Amino acid sequence: MEQSELLVRRIKEGTVIDHIDEGKGLQVLNALRIDGRDGSLITIALNVPSGKFKKKDIIKVENKFLKDDDTNKLAVIASKATINIIKDYKLVEKRRVSLPNEIDRIFRCSNPDCITNSNEHIESVMDVIDKEGRVLKCRYCSRVLDVNKLKYN
Amino acid sequence: MNEFYQKDIISIKDYNKEQLEKIFTATDKLIQLDPSTRREISKGKTMAYLFYEPSTRTRLSFDSAMASIGGNSLGISDISSSSTQKGESLADTVKIMSIYSDALVLRHPLDGSSRFAAEISSKPVINAGSGTEEHPTQAIQDLYTIRKEKKKIDGLKIGIVGDLKYGRTVYSLLYGLGNYDVDVHLISPESLKIRSDSVYEIKKRLSFTESTNIEEHIDDLDVLYVTRIQKERFPDEEEYLKVKGSYVVGLDLLQKMKDTAIILHPLPRLDEISPDIDGTKNAKYFEQAEYGKYTRAALLGLTLNENGF
Repeated sequence: MEQSELLVRRIKEGTVIDHIDEGKGLQVLNALRIDGRDGSLITIALNVPSGKFKKKDIIKVENKFLKDDDTNKLAVIASKATINIIKDYKLVEKRRVSLPNEIDRIFRCSNPDCITNSNEHIESVMDVIDKEGRVLKCRYCSRVLDVNKLKYN
Repeated sequence: MNEFYQKDIISIKDYNKEQLEKIFTATDKLIQLDPSTRREISKGKTMAYLFYEPSTRTRLSFDSAMASIGGNSLGISDISSSSTQKGESLADTVKIMSIYSDALVLRHPLDGSSRFAAEISSKPVINAGSGTEEHPTQAIQDLYTIRKEKKKIDGLKIGIVGDLKYGRTVYSLLYGLGNYDVDVHLISPESLKIRSDSVYEIKKRLSFTESTNIEEHIDDLDVLYVTRIQKERFPDEEEYLKVKGSYVVGLDLLQKMKDTAIILHPLPRLDEISPDIDGTKNAKYFEQAEYGKYTRAALLGLTLNENGF
């Protein structure tokens, strides 16, 4: 285990989201709706030294295992993040997040005049048109969306 | 089977150069047919129109196009008198209208409305203007006009002036021009430059320069495409008044242009093109409107007939 991970308490069951870009930790918490209301232990470390000149954020959440929608949100916000699944204090699975070809429902189009923001019965669909550059496009209104301004459904 | 049969017409981005050329060739053919033969193309077919925004020109152009190929039209052009006023959703209205028709022409103030309608409709949907997003049949009409009047599109220098922010015809035209090797100069007031969230899509297709000065490239242009500053799209009137009348194309400007340059406008115009220009050989906006009828007739003919015409 990296020394940085010892900064916060180990968890028995749950998820460690590591290598979140510096400063994005709180945004990830918000996006994944991790607010501790269910009583689970949550620890968050911001600006943890990582490598020679870099910093990262880390989130540990007890009793939470990310669903596909959560992983997709994470991929948009912090594309270099890794997800570590912990069971009985042991790391049982480690995976990198990656953007799918399309992201359904979870983000709202930031164009207020998009049909997906109307009263029609319709769910948002974002096409990922550049995975490397994290460029998303609303399938309906075709606007290219600023990933830093996305709102969650 | 012709590849356009039963296909929605949502965005000009869905068409490559080869497909555009097929549509232009079909339009050429349609123009040459004698009227009685032309009226056989869509005999017995019905086009429904659903206009959630005021329009005379586009709706009449579709109407007249459908009539010229022998079809009927029905629909709602004044949405305030329809069941939408009672709160009916676009989805339900589209579903019902598609029962009554073979193709549905939709104009709606929201971006993405046509793509949504196409998912709901059992019949092909033709986008006649969706918000500030696109107006694909106008772009096909514009490209056809350039091709017809200049005998080519590749190699031309094209200036687009006016409201580039809210003008949906501009976006569709730019996406369409992306299929060709053209130099594009965009001219607008600073506040009406093309939207930053669309620049990515446009730059993928073509390179362009931006300027606030209409005279900068004027002597070099082969085509000057003029657009109206659209009062109805401004969030407040004060902003509109600041830029109203920013560019006026008059005889003084025309004198600085190439003798062979053409001036286009999607119409309606306000004061951005002086009536003095109308009688010149450079003014092609009325021809453009006429070509609009034929390109729409060709599109309808291809959409409604399995084997084309």
